[in-house]
Amino acid sequence: MNVTTYLPRFASMALAGASLLAVTAAEAKEITVWCWDPNFNVAIMKEAGARYTKTHPDVTFNIVDFAKADVEQKLQTGLSSGTADALPDIVLIEDYGAQKYLQSFPGAFAPLSGTVDYSGFAPYKVELMTLEGQVYGMPFDSGVTGLYYRKDYLEQAGFKPEDMQGITWDRFIEIGKQVEAKTGKKMMGLDPTDAGLVRIIMQSAGQWYFDKDGKPNITGNAALKASLETINKIMAANIYKPAAGWSDWVGTFTSGDVASVITGVWITGTVKAQPDQSGKWGVAPIPALSIDGATHASNLGGSSWYVLESSAEKAEAIDFLNEVYAKDVDFYQTILQDRGAVGSLLAARGGAAYGEADAFFGGEKVWQNFSDWLAKVPSVNYGVFTNEADTAVTAQLPALTQGTPVDEVLKAIDAEVSAQIQ
Amino acid sequence: MALARRGGIGRYYNVNGWLFVAPALGLIALFMVYPILWSLWMSFQSGRGMMLKFAGFANIVRLWNDPVFIKALTNTLTYFVVQVPIMILLALILASLLNNPKLVGRGFFRTAIFLPCVTSLVAYSVLFKGMFAHDGIVNATLEAIGIIGEPIPWLTHPFWAKVLVILAITWRWTGYNMIFYLAAMQNIDKSIYEVARIDGVPAWARFTHITVPLLKPVILFTTVISTIGTIQLFDEVYNLTEGKGGPSNATLTLSLYIYNLTFRFMPNFGYAATVSYVIVVLVALLACVQFFAARERDR
Repeated sequence: MNVTTYLPRFASMALAGASLLAVTAAEAKEITVWCWDPNFNVAIMKEAGARYTKTHPDVTFNIVDFAKADVEQKLQTGLSSGTADALPDIVLIEDYGAQKYLQSFPGAFAPLSGTVDYSGFAPYKVELMTLEGQVYGMPFDSGVTGLYYRKDYLEQAGFKPEDMQGITWDRFIEIGKQVEAKTGKKMMGLDPTDAGLVRIIMQSAGQWYFDKDGKPNITGNAALKASLETINKIMAANIYKPAAGWSDWVGTFTSGDVASVITGVWITGTVKAQPDQSGKWGVAPIPALSIDGATHASNLGGSSWYVLESSAEKAEAIDFLNEVYAKDVDFYQTILQDRGAVGSLLAARGGAAYGEADAFFGGEKVWQNFSDWLAKVPSVNYGVFTNEADTAVTAQLPALTQGTPVDEVLKAIDAEVSAQIQ
Repeated sequence: MALARRGGIGRYYNVNGWLFVAPALGLIALFMVYPILWSLWMSFQSGRGMMLKFAGFANIVRLWNDPVFIKALTNTLTYFVVQVPIMILLALILASLLNNPKLVGRGFFRTAIFLPCVTSLVAYSVLFKGMFAHDGIVNATLEAIGIIGEPIPWLTHPFWAKVLVILAITWRWTGYNMIFYLAAMQNIDKSIYEVARIDGVPAWARFTHITVPLLKPVILFTTVISTIGTIQLFDEVYNLTEGKGGPSNATLTLSLYIYNLTFRFMPNFGYAATVSYVIVVLVALLACVQFFAARERDR
């Protein structure tokens, strides 16, 4: 072998390779994303990133998975400190908190109006991220709620799927008692430090902690009162397994210890993460209160993507969100089937996946159902103090279960909320 | 004569001396004095996030009408009143037991009891959370030996959650205080005990009348340190309750409330600064009281 002939060729190849690397290194952009829930937001963002990288090979994604509380607290810390280095390019914000961030950190988020065509999204979602005529953020998922139940446990207790349709909360508690008597399983998991269920029930009857003008709406709030009474009945009937914190609560149903879960549609990915439970789950509309304005539809959570104004990759981040989340209807079909993500892009509803049966839920057309319920969710004003009101509610739950009259509990909640929102 | 003058007023005009301490003084001014003064200024402002406005004494007035603040203050003082005496007493008893030279495996026990305070705060909180879960090892054990019929709701009942926090901090910090007492006990002259033993003083009286009085300066020191630690309690509660101070704000401490005001609720840095000054005042007051009490007994 003649080394001298090969050597220059090898050297030039190496040189070419090195310069190629240098060029791509200079052009490559990495977009950092903060979000929570590995079975849902994280997985969906990875899918979205993969789609964008296919057409834009120079852009890569670094998707960081935190707990939701950690994302919120890290974001708030970073924004308050004023050092942008510690912040991501794109961050996921739950709808309850959107106005809080927009109002208290003006200039921190990049306005997307002008780039994104917001007419294609559910209007309530766009309204949540509008401040002084500017729209921030990319609308993402809806938190339309459903009652997920274990068909096998309910069958053992003598109930058919028809028995779960259109029930009231009193009936739900009745069923829960029988399920426990026949199967020894509790009906649901309940974390007394989380007011999520209170929020679901309250919104299903068209009310919120705050009225349309953002003023506290506690003592005269019939829906809040009825929802506290319902929680009290559930506690008194002892049809729940207590959970301390989110992961503990998730454990109540992934372990098969409880017969039902009432929460937002985004839990589907977590429910489906247990392949051995395939075919055992069904989905029904949530139970309704027996008061005026009561419906079987509600919302819990739901979130949207926001681009940081300080981001070095701001242009790429906005373009990425616009390309995938505002235009790619096919993307929404994939994340619906894989993760149960009901997006707020209206055009996506016409896609094939919404009409398909899901084998995990025994061949039910669950997506069609969620889509129908979504249209019926009563719209409310979340205001900017949901965290404060939530804390006040959870603070009073033990008093309620120890027999304090519900009107007094409402007064105590009102006093705490009024003191907190200055 | 010249030396005396330089040691007096002349020393303050020595440029070289000032140059030597200037870097340290600069750093202290930048990283200690400035933040303290700035937070004091902030405590007179109010508003959402970065939109702060001067508000006079509004934040101080707000303290009195804020049920959550009152709750956090009560909780913090409850921890202080219940936990610090238990821990100090426990540490004293353990120290005097482990000071006994005849005890077999002294080194092992000393290490074992001291070990908790070198473990990571987060790790041990998470471990406690698992152990005291509804179907965790503690409830399972208590049920198995027949002490309880129903699992204790350690993390979901306001009373038991407080008990759990007290258990956790006692577990962690008793060994730390014990080491101080052990060190001090080694310095007590053994002949004092010998005399007492010859005079027929019983063991308990030797403990209360010799050991405790001679340890008084160390007890004062550990009490002050523990007071400061308890009034500033944050990590255990944050990690045991997922940052909420629940259930029902029963475990909420002042520090956690400051954190919530800053990072979880609508951020109000002004009000949070006011609450942190409450801690400053509280610690200063309690430390003064303890020093005063100790001095009284000396006379």
